[in-house]
Amino acid sequence: MQIVVNGEAQNIATKCTVFQLLQDQGVTFKAAVVEHNGNILKQEHWQSTPLQSGDRLEILVFMGGG
Amino acid sequence: MKETLQSYDPSEDTLRLGGVNLVSRLFIGTGKFSSHGIVPQVLKASGSQVVTMALRRVDWKNPQENILTYLPENTLLLPNTSGARTADEAIRIARLAQAAGCGNWVKIEVVQDQRYLMPDNWETLLATEQLVKEGFVVLPYMSPDLGTARRLQEVGAAAIMPLGSPIGSNRGLQTKELIRILIEEISLPIIVDAGIGRPSEAAKAMEMGAAAVLVNTAIATAGDPVSMAQAFRLAVAAGRLGYLAGPGARRLEATASSPLTGFLQEA
Repeated sequence: MQIVVNGEAQNIATKCTVFQLLQDQGVTFKAAVVEHNGNILKQEHWQSTPLQSGDRLEILVFMGGG
Repeated sequence: MKETLQSYDPSEDTLRLGGVNLVSRLFIGTGKFSSHGIVPQVLKASGSQVVTMALRRVDWKNPQENILTYLPENTLLLPNTSGARTADEAIRIARLAQAAGCGNWVKIEVVQDQRYLMPDNWETLLATEQLVKEGFVVLPYMSPDLGTARRLQEVGAAAIMPLGSPIGSNRGLQTKELIRILIEEISLPIIVDAGIGRPSEAAKAMEMGAAAVLVNTAIATAGDPVSMAQAFRLAVAAGRLGYLAGPGARRLEATASSPLTGFLQEA
């Protein structure tokens, strides 16, 4: 199924959770933050949140900045 | 303050901000360093306790990279809202940063102008008002303007962060006179942010009575960022001590430093 991650369409397996997606992509969990269809998704809900076709995800981390 | 400043100890001259007593009056931005790896050395040399960073989409080429992994545990995190063009976008970024476990401090940065990156004071005020209501410690980056600073104070900003010159320009305190007015008229800490390019300019801001300075580009783009961080640490302490010591009056004409009771012209 297709979802949109950080503005780009991506094909993922059905029943994939947010947790699995981040783990598969190698994202460091510490201080990563996820917006799921425009709502902040707390880290404790990543494992219990299955992705649905058409979902929009923003996966954000902290970079250097002034 | 102690009776004499001869043995100035910054740890006895702390800056109270957001319920915390800060020993260091030098805040550091983490952008533009050649690599994140140098940041721990820079922070150590600077003595800084407050560090800014930005929230961005994860880089898929480097998904493990995260500036937080380079910061010591006791660092006070000050995420900025860079990239925001409106108050709503700044509020969204602040909430995300908080959800990421970065505490409740936030530097509001709302910019629409792409050439000079000048902050939008109106949107900044709107974002500040809302985020204070949500319990954030809000430090708004702003164009130095007394009216706006007063309103930011009224809505509960923790400090005011006027720019010295455009972000990343290293041009120093071009807005010096406007900052002087803010220091004089606003009871909140004034933290000069943006544009400070040399240690002497940081010292100047502190000497004027700024509560702290935020420096990024000047350190990150220096030939030796670690040494420059140390130079800024010394400059901030020197400027602060100069302010506390109370500079003497300025005059247009000379007043002799040596006694005028000379002997050469005497008969």
